[in-house]
Amino acid sequence: MSLNQPEARPTRRGVPLALVIVILLVVAGASVGGTALYLELRPAASPSSGVTVTDDLGRTISVPRDPARVAVLGPNVMDSMFLLGLSSHVVGIDCSNATLGGLEGDYTPGQVANWSLASIPCITAYPALSTADLLAVNPDVVLASSVLPIAQLEEFSATYRIPVVIFDPSTLGGVVYDVELLTSIFGASSTSVALVAQLQAVLGESSSLLTNLSNNGTPLRSVFMTYYPVPAGSPDAGYYTFGPGSFGQSLIELAGGTNVAGSAPTADPELSGSQVLAANPGVVIYGVGFGVDLASYQQGPDWTAIPAVANGNVTGVDVTWMTEVDPAMILALPTFEQILYPGLGPA
Amino acid sequence: MSAAPRRSALGRTLILVGALAALVLASTLLGDVRIPAGVVLAILGQHLLGGILPGGPCAGASISATQCRVFDTIVWSNYVPQVLLGVLVGAALGMSGAALQGTFRNPLADPYLLGLSSGAAFGAALLFVFHVGVEDADLVLPLFAFAGSLLSGAVVLLAARSPRSSVTTLLLTGVAMSSFFSALLVLTLLYNPTGNLQVSFWLLGGLEGATWIQDGIVFAGVLIPGSVLALYGRSLNLLQLGPDVAQSLGVDARKTRVRVLLLASIATSVAVAFAGVIGFVGLVAPHVVRRIAGFDYRVVLSGAAVVGATFVLGARDLALVVFPGIEVPVGVPMAFAGALFFLYLLYRRPGRAGGWGGW
Repeated sequence: MSLNQPEARPTRRGVPLALVIVILLVVAGASVGGTALYLELRPAASPSSGVTVTDDLGRTISVPRDPARVAVLGPNVMDSMFLLGLSSHVVGIDCSNATLGGLEGDYTPGQVANWSLASIPCITAYPALSTADLLAVNPDVVLASSVLPIAQLEEFSATYRIPVVIFDPSTLGGVVYDVELLTSIFGASSTSVALVAQLQAVLGESSSLLTNLSNNGTPLRSVFMTYYPVPAGSPDAGYYTFGPGSFGQSLIELAGGTNVAGSAPTADPELSGSQVLAANPGVVIYGVGFGVDLASYQQGPDWTAIPAVANGNVTGVDVTWMTEVDPAMILALPTFEQILYPGLGPA
Repeated sequence: MSAAPRRSALGRTLILVGALAALVLASTLLGDVRIPAGVVLAILGQHLLGGILPGGPCAGASISATQCRVFDTIVWSNYVPQVLLGVLVGAALGMSGAALQGTFRNPLADPYLLGLSSGAAFGAALLFVFHVGVEDADLVLPLFAFAGSLLSGAVVLLAARSPRSSVTTLLLTGVAMSSFFSALLVLTLLYNPTGNLQVSFWLLGGLEGATWIQDGIVFAGVLIPGSVLALYGRSLNLLQLGPDVAQSLGVDARKTRVRVLLLASIATSVAVAFAGVIGFVGLVAPHVVRRIAGFDYRVVLSGAAVVGATFVLGARDLALVVFPGIEVPVGVPMAFAGALFFLYLLYRRPGRAGGWGGW
């Protein structure tokens, strides 16, 4: 600044700056006020109007009884809601952000169509959970899969006094518990009773199958179950599969098979073409969905050289049956049993 | 170099070649499936020498005919192509690194410093993310990576032809291209999360997907520029005296730089296209050769190819032994060893090997 410049100039510069500060303060105040208003409108749920449940993380939570507005975060939870006939309660579902595929980043086209998801507001959950989206659907309760950021959901629950129930079954039997958990929130119905009975029946029949196989001395078939191929020619060519401790492994064992990747060092290993060839599986099952089809597997290393593939002992199934831990996975068990032991007839 | 030291250098290089040959054989015995060594050797003999063994390669190994066929496929269609790809890729990266260090007279020059790896990764990501030409992926994928790599290399080459180019501006152009393509890569991956995993594996390099067809292409793509590059040993020796001295001795520094850059770019692009980004080979191999066989670039170029191949195969074998059952990209053990060596280079006492200007 030169010495002979008028003194008023800094003041004129200060005016817009002051305006900006005032506007920022007003906006910030409005945001805080909005949140406060929201909290004021939403009193803590009284025990008499709700029900207390224990979720899969062992947390005891009070939730409104038969909530009208439910946010569902996770296809596995949505599957249960649909099968229980509770879709009309769902006011928001998880999705990926637009660049990651939106709704179809989380749900297969079949799920979107069958569960009529296209008209339900989307809550961005990947790559980061949007609290704003969650608040926007004004849920009475949030039902979330454990793959979501639990700490963030707990903070959300504490801040906005909206209960969050986490679904994290550790076994296929746990899926039945989750259905019963939903039943205790929404109340029992003929549909829920029938679903629980059906799931228990399928699991029971699976036990019978295993007993029969054992009694008959039938050798268990070795199974290679893959959900994602990396094409030959790629430096990391191979097939993603299920290792020890995974639900895929449980599925194979309940269907009466032995997992060729059962002794892999991780729960979700990638096997090379050589490893699959050496394992020489009797049956190959591949997952289809999310852009992966038979042609994708045919691009995988040594695919046609796998004896089971060459002999036609290869079947494609909906990939969500392998990867989403929900009632659909249990209900698919008879299909897997048929693939492994076609001569046994319908279970 | 007088005759005696040169003979000694050649002798040491021959020892390196012998070590590589032994490692090639050992690597063929080693894979992610345990196969009896006798069966592997018999399968190799069967294919290389014809049906010399009565009863086939698995006779006497108490292995069923089906199992024998499976082992044959694993050894001949997977292991051998992987080992050959490792040799070719390591040779390409080692030789390119030596040539670039000689051209730039900089011990930290590396094929990837030209942005070739970022360009290749961007090209590969385009295929992964948009599933363009997924049919025949074993050839289409390298084609995409090669195109991306060459694109980056072409910019550096154009810069090298500029009358205002210097060693420093060329290196910085490479750094700029690397950043530019890295940003494009991230932007591309935002459009498809499933591509992320594959691209990250690809960025660490690997030999798992090798096929005979790929080996054939890489052989041609490395042999031709590599052979021509080997002829530049004398020019690179003279360049170490400075561009003016080299000019007075009949070496056009600018033309030599452009040609060496072009040849190294092609060899590196081919290697990266088929094996992903295996870092540090081009940086470390020339230093090892200079320590073993001296500073004569007529030896260093071919020696770096041999040492580079040894490093890549060694890294593959190390990953298989240390992490059995897990597919660890070759680039991981290579990066561990390379990073330590890089630190050694940065912090060693100056003067022992000629300092920064002596390369």
